[in-house]
Amino acid sequence: MTEADRIPVTPTSANWTPEQKAEFVRRRRGRNWALFGAMVALCLLIYAIAVVKLYHAGHMW
Amino acid sequence: MRASAPAGVAEPALLDQAILGATTSDWLALLKPRVLYLVVYTGAAGLLVAPGPLNPVLAFTAILCIAMAAGAAGAINMWYDRDIDAIMRRTAKRPVPAGRISPSGALSFGVGLSFLSVLLMWMATNLLAAAILALSIAFYVFVYTMWLKRRTPQNIVIGGAAGAFPPIIGWVAVTGHLALLPLVLFALIFIWTPPHFWALSLFASADYEKAGVPMLPVVAGAKATRRAVMSYTLWMVPISLLPYVLHEAGSFYGASALGLGAAFIWYAIGVMRDRQDATGVSLTRDAPAKAAFKYSILYLFLLFGALVVDHFL
Repeated sequence: MTEADRIPVTPTSANWTPEQKAEFVRRRRGRNWALFGAMVALCLLIYAIAVVKLYHAGHMW
Repeated sequence: MRASAPAGVAEPALLDQAILGATTSDWLALLKPRVLYLVVYTGAAGLLVAPGPLNPVLAFTAILCIAMAAGAAGAINMWYDRDIDAIMRRTAKRPVPAGRISPSGALSFGVGLSFLSVLLMWMATNLLAAAILALSIAFYVFVYTMWLKRRTPQNIVIGGAAGAFPPIIGWVAVTGHLALLPLVLFALIFIWTPPHFWALSLFASADYEKAGVPMLPVVAGAKATRRAVMSYTLWMVPISLLPYVLHEAGSFYGASALGLGAAFIWYAIGVMRDRQDATGVSLTRDAPAKAAFKYSILYLFLLFGALVVDHFL
């Protein structure tokens, strides 16, 4: 056993197995969809708040 | 300066999981969702019993902001407490100590969500509600997490105030000003918190001791903790009757508070009379403390539910 064999391999994307790569992609896709959903929901919420505020202020309809 | 975990305990190492990235549920776990139920519930109760109408969209936003702020404070707490969370069995699998989310990621998430919740609350309701929301986050993070938690067994007595803000915020979101009833509700949750957490700490004290957190059973022993659960419960019941006594709630609430309070005292007596050794350590695996802890959650749910029902009767 050489000295190099005894040094633990640091897990990096360079030495991923295909399963690890697939899992990474799956998790990233899940996070991105969740973030997209949160952003859309926030936009809709701010829009709804603006409509309600303007309505109560008598600036709409 | 931060009081550190016991000597010899290293920062939790990032596991292989870290490089794969967190799942969405890991980010949601940072918000301590189980704690959020009571926060949202008591905040919604404050909002519902407040005089005057609030548009449903704005009411929903106010409750969402309370939930977001509580979650954000929880995320910052997980960032700060990552060293002791790694030691305690109950918390070791949380995303930060388990290495699934980096500490800086958790901190950024918490701070970002804090600002968003406060700004959104201001936009939807009023400045005072947003200011009290900001105060509740700051209290939980700076007073409870960073100052009290690792220093004194009174940590949850004073720190309990952080969890008592939601009814005030809900009320102020509707009315724009403070009043007697939300302050009484604040006092009620404030005095409810110690027996609730001390019942938990009775059966989780080994974890706290390992992490060096000075919870009451660790510092003063189980016997003193049992007495403290009893005495705080006896203080809590009269305070729970104040809304009725002060004519802020009707007889349905008064009767409910009396019955629920009597049951709480019965559970506290159970904790006091648990079979124990000379030092007060339970010989029944803390069955009465576990029952009292569960009941304390039910108690708050039912009591605030009774307040809302009474308001609409």
